[in-house]
Amino acid sequence: MDFSRVELSDDDEAFRDEARNFLKAQVTEEVGRRDRETGDNFDEGVHLAFGAAGYLALEWKSESDGGFSRVRRRIWEQEKRRAHVPWVTWGTTAMVARSVAKFGSAELQNEVLPRVFSGEVRLCLGYTEPEGGSDIATCKTRAVRDGGSWLINGSKMFTTGAHNCQYVFLITNTAPDSPKHKSLTMFLVPLNSPGIEIQGLRTVDGDRTNIVYYSDVRVDDKYRLGEVNAGWTVLREPLNTEHGAVAAAADGLQDTSIMMHQAGSMATAVDKAVARVTQPDPSGRRLLDDQSVAYRLGRSFARMEAALSAPSIYGRVAIAQTMRDISPDLMDILGAASALPFGTDGAADDGGAEHVYRFAPLVGIYGGTLEVFRNMIGQYTLGLGKPNYSAPVKKVS
Amino acid sequence: MDRYELRRLDYSLSEDHLDLQSAYKQFFKTHCPIETVRAAEPSGFDKNLWERLCAMGATTMALPESCGGDGATLVDLTLVAEEIGRSLAPVPWIDHICAARLLASLGALGDETASETASVADGEQLAAFDARIDSAQGARLIPTGSIADHIIVRDGDQIVRLTFGTRPAKVDNIGRLPMAWVDPGAADARTVVAQGCDALAKYQRALDEWRLLTAAALVGLVEETMTIAAEFAKNRYTLGVPISTLQGISHPLANMAITVQGGRNLTRRAAWFLDNEPDVRPELAPSAFVFMAEEAAKAATMAVHIQGGLGVSAEAAASAYLVRARGWPLAGGDPGTSAKRVAEIVAARESSPQVAQV
Repeated sequence: MDFSRVELSDDDEAFRDEARNFLKAQVTEEVGRRDRETGDNFDEGVHLAFGAAGYLALEWKSESDGGFSRVRRRIWEQEKRRAHVPWVTWGTTAMVARSVAKFGSAELQNEVLPRVFSGEVRLCLGYTEPEGGSDIATCKTRAVRDGGSWLINGSKMFTTGAHNCQYVFLITNTAPDSPKHKSLTMFLVPLNSPGIEIQGLRTVDGDRTNIVYYSDVRVDDKYRLGEVNAGWTVLREPLNTEHGAVAAAADGLQDTSIMMHQAGSMATAVDKAVARVTQPDPSGRRLLDDQSVAYRLGRSFARMEAALSAPSIYGRVAIAQTMRDISPDLMDILGAASALPFGTDGAADDGGAEHVYRFAPLVGIYGGTLEVFRNMIGQYTLGLGKPNYSAPVKKVS
Repeated sequence: MDRYELRRLDYSLSEDHLDLQSAYKQFFKTHCPIETVRAAEPSGFDKNLWERLCAMGATTMALPESCGGDGATLVDLTLVAEEIGRSLAPVPWIDHICAARLLASLGALGDETASETASVADGEQLAAFDARIDSAQGARLIPTGSIADHIIVRDGDQIVRLTFGTRPAKVDNIGRLPMAWVDPGAADARTVVAQGCDALAKYQRALDEWRLLTAAALVGLVEETMTIAAEFAKNRYTLGVPISTLQGISHPLANMAITVQGGRNLTRRAAWFLDNEPDVRPELAPSAFVFMAEEAAKAATMAVHIQGGLGVSAEAAASAYLVRARGWPLAGGDPGTSAKRVAEIVAARESSPQVAQV
């Protein structure tokens, strides 16, 4: 057990200062403003600068392969958060690039990976379908072999970042009559292929995601990842990563659970509320002097710290649930001015708590709904058995 | 607070921690089955179990080496507390060691000037204290007041040790604790053990430790009542399927597992900071308590509910957990006071000029 400050060598300290300065110079107010305006959670200029400075390769590669040491990786991670670097598209890119490295042909790896490290190529996830929800195995998007290539038809929801990406990691159905886990084939589809239409969709938290339509999209067989109908093998690892069922690190240089970016927005809101309630009004009265404010703030703080402490998939549920549970209280104690969003004149906490409130519903569905993860905890850690559902009904259309 | 400060987040237990944990788990499993818990309900205290526990070194471990103790860390103590909660052990270990550690920190434990408390260290004499944050006037409920030889309370800026010729009478209570109304004015002897700001700060530290260890006990309590309910649900069928496979049952059980994991890690992190950097995150101990006090009651109620008519039976283990989940944290007064304390600590930190925003 150890929660101490990490003692840095002179070299690592120099690295931290350099990274901090670099990030400060890159992530300008303009980047932040553009990010809020577009909801992209991605900035091409910043991303290309990361690539040019070598940070993308250092972050992606393992230490033995020339990547960051454990301690520098952790420094980099924390400093990026401190600087509020837009993060979502690099997250999907790094994850999909692992599948390309593992399952892609040498030719495909050469086409994609060097440009992933330079920042020119970004990758997104084509999992969820309009009718599919969290169960990605119920895939209706079809891929049909046609000579040396494939024809793809269908549509995907929540392909976040597609408009800033060059390829999509696409789940397709190649054997509609087979059991669902033996019917999937994965492709890395170039997004400039004819027949792809990307339609933006803004979400209630201010982010942008996309619906992507695929109409007779022709994809060369070299873009296939893994064997035909063995998509599940390819997907298992990235899904596990996204689920956050990851063992704790012995050196403590790792997040306690997944969703720490999202949890960070909650921590920021709580800390802002703490700062706000200590400010005296012209008569010298502080919000904190109201005992009901102190009680609600203390309770919210306590619940947040419990959520930040929960490991693995427990943590991801705790974080999403706690964001939902405490954001209304945080808003209440700050009063009517907590209704004003970021940048608005007189906003109580610069829109911190109201953003957590709008963000929380999304955090509870990323990479699977809260129900999916409660099922997993029940089935795999408490041994409660596979959930029972009522018998399938014939769909009436 | 700098949320991006580079600190380790290592919640793992060492070999020594694991040995300690398994020794106490085994001890309570052997010596404190649910029948023992039930049998002790009239008095709220199993003297035989207490003597065995003391013989194992559970009280001396908690004291500093300067007082003849083993200088265990609070992290160590949370491991023992969790097993007490898991087994619902009818022993006043948390109150006793918090009071004894307080006396030790005030230099009032068993040296030449305090020979009267010489048998407190090994648990032969019992120490109790007023676990409320908001200092009470007059008669007040002391969680282990009916069995204690020494009762420590605050009076203004004094820390006072009270003794009674006849111990105060135990009152019936939902936590099945050896609780009593104690009127300091009626004590047969009143000794001022310390006075002033520093003494009050040490009393506050004892209150924080009590909350920390009670939170740890509630983690064990919730985990055990969850486990019993889960076993029941796996073996109870409705319409041909185990009720554990219904989300109306499995999701509340999953929530309990999340409470255990989050509450346990928070408790241990809070303990680590009190052990190693006590001024850095002092709000974590009352935070763990606020969280577990609220969640324990919800979890214990759901565990009873899952077992339906069998759960509500007075003989069911689930009902034994239900009453203690409420009664143990409440013995320290309104848990909301701890929530306010959390807010005061973090607000004071934010408005302090030393806060370095890097």
